[in-house]
Amino acid sequence: MTRIASSTAVQIRQLSYFFGQGDLRKQVLYDIDLDLPRGQIVIMTGPSGSGKTTLLTLIGALRTVQQGSLQVLDQEIVGLSRAALVTVRRNIGFIFQAHNLFESLTASQNVEMAVELLDRWGDKRQKAVQMLSQLGLADRVDYKPSALSGGQKQRVAIARALVNQPALVLADEPTAALDKQSGREVVTLMQELAKSQGKTILMVTHDNRILDVADRIITLVDGRLETDESLAS
Amino acid sequence: MKTPLALLNLTHEKTRLLVAIAGVAFAVLLVFMNLGFLGALAKSASQIYSQFDADVFLLSPQTLEISTNKAFPRERLYQAAGFAGVERTMPIYAGYGQWRNPETRKNRSIFVFGINPDDPVFLDPEFRSPQNLDALRRPDTTLIDRLSRPEFGSQQAGTITELERRRVTVGGQYVLGGGFAADGTLLMSDQNFRRFFDPFPLNLISVGLIKLQPESDPDRVAAALAAALPKDVIVLTKPQIVDRERTYWISTTSIGFIFGLGVTISCIVGVIIVYQILYTDIADHMKQYATLKAMGYRSGFLVQTVIQEAIILAVLGYIPGFIISLGLYELTRSATAGGLPIGMEWERALFVLLLTLSMCILSAVISVRKVVLADPAEVF
Repeated sequence: MTRIASSTAVQIRQLSYFFGQGDLRKQVLYDIDLDLPRGQIVIMTGPSGSGKTTLLTLIGALRTVQQGSLQVLDQEIVGLSRAALVTVRRNIGFIFQAHNLFESLTASQNVEMAVELLDRWGDKRQKAVQMLSQLGLADRVDYKPSALSGGQKQRVAIARALVNQPALVLADEPTAALDKQSGREVVTLMQELAKSQGKTILMVTHDNRILDVADRIITLVDGRLETDESLAS
Repeated sequence: MKTPLALLNLTHEKTRLLVAIAGVAFAVLLVFMNLGFLGALAKSASQIYSQFDADVFLLSPQTLEISTNKAFPRERLYQAAGFAGVERTMPIYAGYGQWRNPETRKNRSIFVFGINPDDPVFLDPEFRSPQNLDALRRPDTTLIDRLSRPEFGSQQAGTITELERRRVTVGGQYVLGGGFAADGTLLMSDQNFRRFFDPFPLNLISVGLIKLQPESDPDRVAAALAAALPKDVIVLTKPQIVDRERTYWISTTSIGFIFGLGVTISCIVGVIIVYQILYTDIADHMKQYATLKAMGYRSGFLVQTVIQEAIILAVLGYIPGFIISLGLYELTRSATAGGLPIGMEWERALFVLLLTLSMCILSAVISVRKVVLADPAEVF
């Protein structure tokens, strides 16, 4: 089957990954084949140690691919130099379990750090404020993280990930540190933004309460793709 | 404008910032004090020569510096007097004597100059005030340096005490300063000098001063003298003798080494303090820095940020260090009653600023390795 390249955000072929060297070498991913079409929200689940996060960091160009083929946003990243990987990462939004905000910077400044990557100086504040407002933080733009709740901090982190309009968003347990209500809010906001801007989201989560936002759920067990289930929306 | 991440990171932890500034300021202060003493030493070593009204100097080759001198025949000075361009020659006799504090009756070494009262040896006209000239001609009478340490006791004219276990009367005062070699100085006539340092033959002198006619070139006359005079004297121009004295104190005594070591150790202390602060800061922000890397920032940006933090620390630490040093210089001057000419020079201020900057940047380079090696994949 031939694909139109631009309709796929991520294309993985026969991807394997190993940790360690020599005798300690241990395989964590086995022959993964996966396509993520643009605009899809995909949730990846699976037991601990099944390789979910490793797969996510590979797609995020944070690790070097050892075996197989991995195309992210129409670019083959196997064999790219470190510097080239950094360039690839600039088109990806990352959301982590911990918010990883600079305590010394205000919400707006934390988001502006992302805008500065594009060498845009004039309207960076405006863009940051706009993004934070979309996430319901209009009255919190000049607060430092210490004055924000857990859910608010995670929303700042999401604003930071999305402010540059990345085509691909990778999230690793974005709700794990949040209570039920804030978790729900955060995911709903992500869903709305993804739908309105046509982003692809790949989210690793154990949180059963949020599975309904997904278009598709894939399960990874012991480094192999176990199930791949599309949900009627 | 770029978000000033380095500045904000530093100012976020106020206590840590204060500790860091205090640490850098302390190192800066130590460097300034060490260099200050070294500079004062060099200056005070040469200070005495700048006050002599002479252009060329004769010394015995065995003279290490003015207070460790070997006498040489006075004939050399008579010979020099016959050279073209020489206006006047003046002998100086110099040596240490035991001065008894008239109040506590404790003995202490004092440095004594003997001169011919008719010779205009010094540039400062105070030396030739009528009262001083008169006192110089009286037997068993001496002038005393106002910059002598207070341990020598009263400097009042008319004070009677003992020098070299011989009765002496203070006849007046002058300002000279003994530098590192002497806590105090006396000035007396050659006749008195011979009395107190008996048997000191007046045909052997410690230093020969040669004043040139205004249009003569000191270098040319010194060269001519050196070529003609026997090898029991060396001929030096003023800059040469100043340099010789400095070299003696700084290079061939432990003093230069001690202060040099002081500067080195202060710098090491500074590097360690700044390294600790920067390292802790980096360790605290490891996740954030790794996130920046994941977002697409290059290692160079993180290196830049840490170096900026280092430069900010250097400047913020330098300012109080500089101000406190000025205060301590002042304190030192007053403690030595002006005898130790310690003072701030802009070359030194600039040198220490550059030293502080390189010290902090070195710390940054050592501590930044951790950030550069930060693996963004570990954040997940």
